[in-house]
Amino acid sequence: MKRRRFLGRSMAAGVALTGAEALESVRPARAAETQPSDLPSKFTPAAHALRRSAYSPFATADYYTFADDLVLEHNQPGKPHQGKVLAAIQPHSDDVPLYCGGTVAKLIDEGYTGYLIRISNDEAAGRTIGYGVVQNEIDNHEVAKALGCKKAYSFYYRNHRMDDDAEIEIRARLIFLFRLLRVNTILTMDPYDHYDENPDHLVVGRTVEAACWMAGGSRDYPEHLKAGLKTTSVREKYYHARSPQGHNLTNRIVDISSYIDAKVRANVANKGKGPAGTAGSALRRELAKEGRKLPLLGDNDETANFAYVKHFLMDDFRLLGEQFGLGYAEAFRYIGPEPVYSRNIREYVNQHAVPL
Amino acid sequence: MDTNIVVEKDQPGYPHRGKVFAAIHAHLDDIPYYAGGLCAKLASEGYTGYIIRTSNDEKCGGHTTAENILSNEQEHLKMAAALGFKDVFDLYYRNHRMDGISSIEIRGRLILIFRMLKVDTVITFNPWGHGEENPDHWVTGRAVEEACWMGGMSNDFPEHMEAGIQPHSVRERYYFYARSGQPFNRVVDISSHIEEKLNAIVECRSQGGGNRGSELRARLAKQGRRLPLLANDDRTADREYARRFLLGADQDYGKEYNLRYAERFYYIDQRPPAKPEVDDYIEKNAVSL
Repeated sequence: MKRRRFLGRSMAAGVALTGAEALESVRPARAAETQPSDLPSKFTPAAHALRRSAYSPFATADYYTFADDLVLEHNQPGKPHQGKVLAAIQPHSDDVPLYCGGTVAKLIDEGYTGYLIRISNDEAAGRTIGYGVVQNEIDNHEVAKALGCKKAYSFYYRNHRMDDDAEIEIRARLIFLFRLLRVNTILTMDPYDHYDENPDHLVVGRTVEAACWMAGGSRDYPEHLKAGLKTTSVREKYYHARSPQGHNLTNRIVDISSYIDAKVRANVANKGKGPAGTAGSALRRELAKEGRKLPLLGDNDETANFAYVKHFLMDDFRLLGEQFGLGYAEAFRYIGPEPVYSRNIREYVNQHAVPL
Repeated sequence: MDTNIVVEKDQPGYPHRGKVFAAIHAHLDDIPYYAGGLCAKLASEGYTGYIIRTSNDEKCGGHTTAENILSNEQEHLKMAAALGFKDVFDLYYRNHRMDGISSIEIRGRLILIFRMLKVDTVITFNPWGHGEENPDHWVTGRAVEEACWMGGMSNDFPEHMEAGIQPHSVRERYYFYARSGQPFNRVVDISSHIEEKLNAIVECRSQGGGNRGSELRARLAKQGRRLPLLANDDRTADREYARRFLLGADQDYGKEYNLRYAERFYYIDQRPPAKPEVDDYIEKNAVSL
């Protein structure tokens, strides 16, 4: 409790420093205000508690730590990523839709070929374990479709128990898939997401991170090469945090305003778990039994499900976007391609070498 | 003589043409000693053979750990060539420490290789053999045994199918007779393949005693002596030393069956019958509606 309070105070001060407190929501969201800060003025806050929606805990992180070279990633015209491949890797069927669905849809629209990889079997959500795994399996495919992915994969490790699995084996399978699909870019849980209480998240983050570079080494699993695969290095990573607990270093804010509806559809497709799915139609039915209705939910289940997710569950992403002058946004720790150091050295040599 | 023992002799022609075997061992000298004759025999009868070494052999060679890994790696390639293997796989798990690795990870790798090569037959350690004091041996045997049948299941590692690699079951197994008292139900006559076996053994210099002949020859020379058995060059010395001193077990295993040299195995045949039993039953018992 004390930790939360202290950090909360820190964030408020941070927001004041950026002047972002002037941005007020124009929607009737029940946004939770940040607590006033008791942080003495001689301290500079190291993390920020942004204004959050009161409608859902499963959206944006509780605290933000921003890098001073933060980049706003806007829409790019045309298909600048044509020929490139992304893999969005999630422990559970609702992680990618909630935390980075807008960015996945955006990158695919800009030319990427996308694949969705789910690592767990999601057995912890459902009427019985059997029903749960079946519904979440279906959902994973439907989420992939909603985001424009070419294909969905599931590894089916037991939900909430992945810290008991051999990470090297999961990593080996990811290396195989990254090589097979020739993946350039991944989106996944940040392996350094502080205070993430779900072990599946951390295992997935770690195995993905390790697989990204090892897939490029010919000494790792050389039998893959004999099977016709080629080594491939994943050069770009978008790491997202988990909410409500969890925060990572943020150096990229992606404008997903044009893709918010795709993100909403992906979340509606997620019926087996998470806060979205058919929650809108269920609420509509509940109100009808009481002789009431919410105009927001429209006149049919499809509209109700869509409107519910967009209005309530996407509110945090709207509030995050507001901080940066955007309609909706998602936050990431982005790691881009390394410079070609050898070429830089060669250029230096060419510029500075003198005759003997 | 145990009447339940099958004596497998040379078969004329190429009865195994089109079939594939994988010899999976933990260390450089396992296959040469336990099954070098069988590997040579099966290859001569039409099989295509592949060899897989699971450890990095870092503990053997008498040099630094790194130098041992290198020397065993090089000798493994030479040994495999001597037995006519088409390709060599080295998995490089740390020697003597394989009971600490993830069993599912090594199994996954073997499943990929078995599927990729469409392996029909494996030759490896008996995972249930008693008296096995080397953890690398039973870890390898267990992983192979599990991979043999799981390789045939399409829901195990379905991503392999994405790469065009189809499910594939391994139906025949030859388990080594590696320690005294382990079970065996097959004695393989390797008399006509003993030269290939010797060729393989003498490549095992970092471990397995392949260079003992030349070492002995050099030692005697320093003393101003020589053994006629060891002839006048190192290669011959190694071969003849191995023939005279290192094949005693193979001679003993053969003696009981009037064979010059033999290797023992626990053989398991899981090939389906040409005609399923249910088809036979239907043929005999089906009546008109």
